[in-house]
Amino acid sequence: MKLITAVVKPHRLDEIKEALQAFGVHGLTVTEASGYGRQRGHTEVYRGAEYTVDLVPKIRIEVLVEDADADQLIEVVVKAARTGKIGDGKVWSLPVDTAVRVRTGERGPDAL
Amino acid sequence: MTESVEAQGHSYAAARLRLLTEEAQSGPPRRAALARLTDQWLADLAADAARATGAGGWALLAVGGYGRGELSPRSDLDLVLLHEPGDAKGSVSALADRLWYPVWDLGLALDHSVRTPAEARKTAADDLKVQLGLLDARHLAGDAAMTAGLRSAVLADWRNQAPQRLPALHELCTERAERQGELSYLLEPDLKEARGGLRDATTLRAVAASWLADAPREGLEEARTRLLDARDALHLVTGRATDRLALQEQDQVAAALGLLDADTLLRQVYEAARRIAYASDVTWREVDRVLRSRAARPRRRGLLGRGRTAGAAPPPERVPLAEGVVEQEGEAVLALAAKPDRDPVLPLRAAAAAAQAGLPLSLHAVRRLAAAARPLPVPWPAEAREQLVTLLGAGESTVPVWEALEAEGLVTRLIPDWERVRCRPQRNAVHRFTVDRHLVEAAVQAAGLTRRVHRPDLLLTAALLHDIGKGWPGDHSEAGEVIARDVAARIGFGPADVDTLALLVRHHLLLIDTATRRDLDDPETIRTVAETVRDTSTLELLAALTEADALATGPAAWSTWRASLLADLVGRVAGALDTGALPESADSEPTAEEERLAIEAARTGGPVLALHAYTEEEAEGEARQQALGVELLLAVPDRPHLVARAAGVLALHRLTVRAADLRAFDPIGEGPVALLSWRVSAEYGALPEAARLRADLARAFDGSLDIEARLAEREAAYPRRRGITPPPPRVTVAPGHTSQTATVLEVRAHDAPGLLHRIGLALASTSVTVRSARISTLGSNAVDAFYVVGKDGNPLPDARAAEVARQVEAALR
Repeated sequence: MKLITAVVKPHRLDEIKEALQAFGVHGLTVTEASGYGRQRGHTEVYRGAEYTVDLVPKIRIEVLVEDADADQLIEVVVKAARTGKIGDGKVWSLPVDTAVRVRTGERGPDAL
Repeated sequence: MTESVEAQGHSYAAARLRLLTEEAQSGPPRRAALARLTDQWLADLAADAARATGAGGWALLAVGGYGRGELSPRSDLDLVLLHEPGDAKGSVSALADRLWYPVWDLGLALDHSVRTPAEARKTAADDLKVQLGLLDARHLAGDAAMTAGLRSAVLADWRNQAPQRLPALHELCTERAERQGELSYLLEPDLKEARGGLRDATTLRAVAASWLADAPREGLEEARTRLLDARDALHLVTGRATDRLALQEQDQVAAALGLLDADTLLRQVYEAARRIAYASDVTWREVDRVLRSRAARPRRRGLLGRGRTAGAAPPPERVPLAEGVVEQEGEAVLALAAKPDRDPVLPLRAAAAAAQAGLPLSLHAVRRLAAAARPLPVPWPAEAREQLVTLLGAGESTVPVWEALEAEGLVTRLIPDWERVRCRPQRNAVHRFTVDRHLVEAAVQAAGLTRRVHRPDLLLTAALLHDIGKGWPGDHSEAGEVIARDVAARIGFGPADVDTLALLVRHHLLLIDTATRRDLDDPETIRTVAETVRDTSTLELLAALTEADALATGPAAWSTWRASLLADLVGRVAGALDTGALPESADSEPTAEEERLAIEAARTGGPVLALHAYTEEEAEGEARQQALGVELLLAVPDRPHLVARAAGVLALHRLTVRAADLRAFDPIGEGPVALLSWRVSAEYGALPEAARLRADLARAFDGSLDIEARLAEREAAYPRRRGITPPPPRVTVAPGHTSQTATVLEVRAHDAPGLLHRIGLALASTSVTVRSARISTLGSNAVDAFYVVGKDGNPLPDARAAEVARQVEAALR
C-alpha cells in the first residue's frame, strides 16, 4: 500500500475530490496547511503597503491506495490540481506497512 | 441466608428490568416506581443484614436524587449508613459489607458512606456536595429517629451557615457553568452539569431550603421534569450513565420520548434549560442582595445603639443610566418616573443602558416592561433603532440582557421573526450554538470589529440577522434576505440601508466560500465578487461580518489559515473596486435660515443660534409630551478651537450629539463663518433653554467659560460607572483622494459624554484647521469624518496626515 500526499492550492479541492471519486477512491483526509516551495511565498501590496506573505495557505490531501494504483492516482491528482502557475504544489507517495479499519478490524488492502 | 439475599437480588433485578423495558410507565411515575422498588429491596436487605450481624443503632439513608425519590435508569444509588459512635464489635462494618456487596453484585453504581451523625454533619460542613446531598436525605431502614435527627440538624446547620456557604456554592456553580457551557445553546449539551441543567435545579432547591431567597417558581418543576425525562431516555438508549446528549443519540432519544424528531427534543430541552438558568440568575442576584443588606445592618445597629428599631433603612443608592433607567444594587432597574405604558422605546433603552453599563436587567424591570410596554410603531422611531444598535454593540454584556428580554418574550415582540430561530438547534458539526444564540454571539463578536467599518450599526444589525432565514425551506441565505429586508424596514432603516442589509445577509457566506474554494489569481473570481459587493464600504462590512460569523460559530470555523485567505481575497476585491469617494460635505448651499444666521454672526462677531425641537413620528393616539431631540443651528465667525468649545458647551448641558455637520462660508465678505448644524438629544430627557445655551456659548467663545474645568468638575461630582470595555478608538486617514481640497481624518470611537469636545481639542493641538466635518453616532459608536487642512489651507502631506491621525488617536485613548 502507498500513502499519497498532495499539498496543493485550496481552490483545487473540489476538482481533486471529483477526480478521485471518478477513479474509485472512497476516502481521503483533508487538512488546512500553509507553507512555501521554490517561490518562497510572494510579496503583495495591500492598501499601499507592501508586505511579504511567506507562508501561503494550502490544503494537504492524504489518500491510502494499493501499490498497483499509486502511479495512476498520482497522475489523477496532479492533473486535477494543476493550474500551470507558481504555487500549484506537490504530490508524493510513501510506502505503508499496515492499515486497519477500526470498526471491523480488517487489515491490509481490505481496510482501504 | 445467602441464597435468600441472592434471590432477593434476582427478583429486584427482574422487576427493575420489567419496569424499565416493558411497562408503559415513563417520566416521574417511573422514576418514583423505580425508587420504591429499590427502597423495598434495600430495606429487606438491611433488615436481613441487621439480623445476621446483630448490629444496633443504625439507619440507612438515601441522599441526592435517590433521596428525592427520583431514580433514572442508570442513576447511582447514593446511600449513607448512619451508626452510633463506636463500633467495637465490628458489627457496623459487617452490616455495611452485607449492604454494599449485593448492590455491586447486581452491577449497579453505588455511592456510599458509613458515618456517625456527627461525622456526617462535619463532612457536610466541609463539602458542599455532601451538604446538598444530605438536604434531600430520606429514611430507608433502621432507626428512623436517627435519620430524623440528622435531617433536622443538617437543615439547621445549612440555614445557620447560609451566609457563608451560599457564596461558595455560587462560585462553584459559576465555575461549572464556565467549564460545561450553557445547556440552552449547546448542540451537544450535558443535561446535568451544563448551566441550566439538573444540577442547577437541585442547587435552587438548596437555596430555597436556606430560607434566604427563593427562585421564581413558575415553570421550574416542569422544566426539571423535562430534563429528567430526557436523561431517562438517554440512559435507556445508550445503556450507560451518560448525561451528554450527543448528536448521534438525539434521534433515538427523541423517538424514545415519543417526539417528532431530534429538533423537537432539543427545543424542549433548551426551553427547559432557559427556564432553569434564568431562575438561577435571578435567585443568585437575590441572594447577593440579601447578603449585602445583612452585612450592612449590624454596623448601623452598632452606631445607633441598642434601640429596638434601627431606623428606616436608607433608600438604596440609585445612579441614573439613561432616561427612565437607573442602577440600583448592581442591577439596572426602572426609574421611579419611568412610564413603561407611555414610552414604547423604554424596553430597548433600558436593555441598552444595562448592557453598556455591564449590568443585568432586573427581573422586576423586565416583567414590568413585558406587562406594560406598548408595541413600537412600525417603522420604529430612530431612537428605538439606535437603542437596539447600542444594545448589540455592548459586547459580552449583551448576552445576559438579551436573555432576560428573551425569557419574558420581549425579543419576539420586538422582532416577530425571531420566533423561528429561537431555541433552534442546527445539525452541523462546525456549529456550537443554537441559531438564536449564534446570532447574538455574532453581534457580540461584531461589536469588537466596529472600528473597522464606516457603519457599525449596519454591521451589528447584519450580524443579528445573518442566519434569520434558518428554519425556512431552501437556502437560508436566500430566505434570510427576504426576512432581513422586512425586519430592517420594520426597525426603521432607510431604503439604501435596507438594501445593504439585505445584500449582507444574502451574501454572508460569499467571501469565505470564495476565499477557500476559488482561485484568487483568477481575475474572473475577483470581478464576480466585486460586482456582487458593489462598493468598498459594503466590502468592509461583509468582511467584518464574515469574521464575526466565523468567530461565533465555533473553534473550527476560524483559523489563521482562513483569515489569511479571506484577507487576500478582500485585498484583491478592494483593489478592483472604486474607492467610493466620501461625499464632499462643504459645498451644499446654505438654507435661507442658515444664511440669515451666518449674516447675523458675521455682523455681530458672536455666536448666533436657533433651536428647533423635533419629534419623531407621533405615536398614534396620544401625542408625546416630550420632544425627542433638538436641531441646533449655530453660526460663529471662524476661530480656533471652534469644534472643541461648541461641543464642550453641549456636553456641559448634558446634550448628546447624535449627528452634526460643520461647514464654513463667507456670507458678506468679512471672513468665513462656521455653520454647525447639530442633532442633539438630552441625556436625561429635559432639554435646555435656548437663552442659557446661547449665553454659555458666547462665554465659551470669548474665553470666559473654562469648559475643561467645568467638565472635569462634573466628572468628579458624578463619576460614571465604568461599564464595559469597548474596542479602542481608531483614527485613520481616509485612503485615496476622497477629497481634493482637504485631508479626511476618520475617527471611530466609543461614544461618551464630551467625546467630540476631546476630539476638537486634540485636532486643535495638532494645529490643523477643521474645514468641515460630519459627525454621526450610531448606537454607541461615534463615526466621524473631519476634513482638515494645514496652515497653508491645503491638504496635509501623507506623512503629516498620518502623524496627526496618530496624535488624535493617542489623545482619545
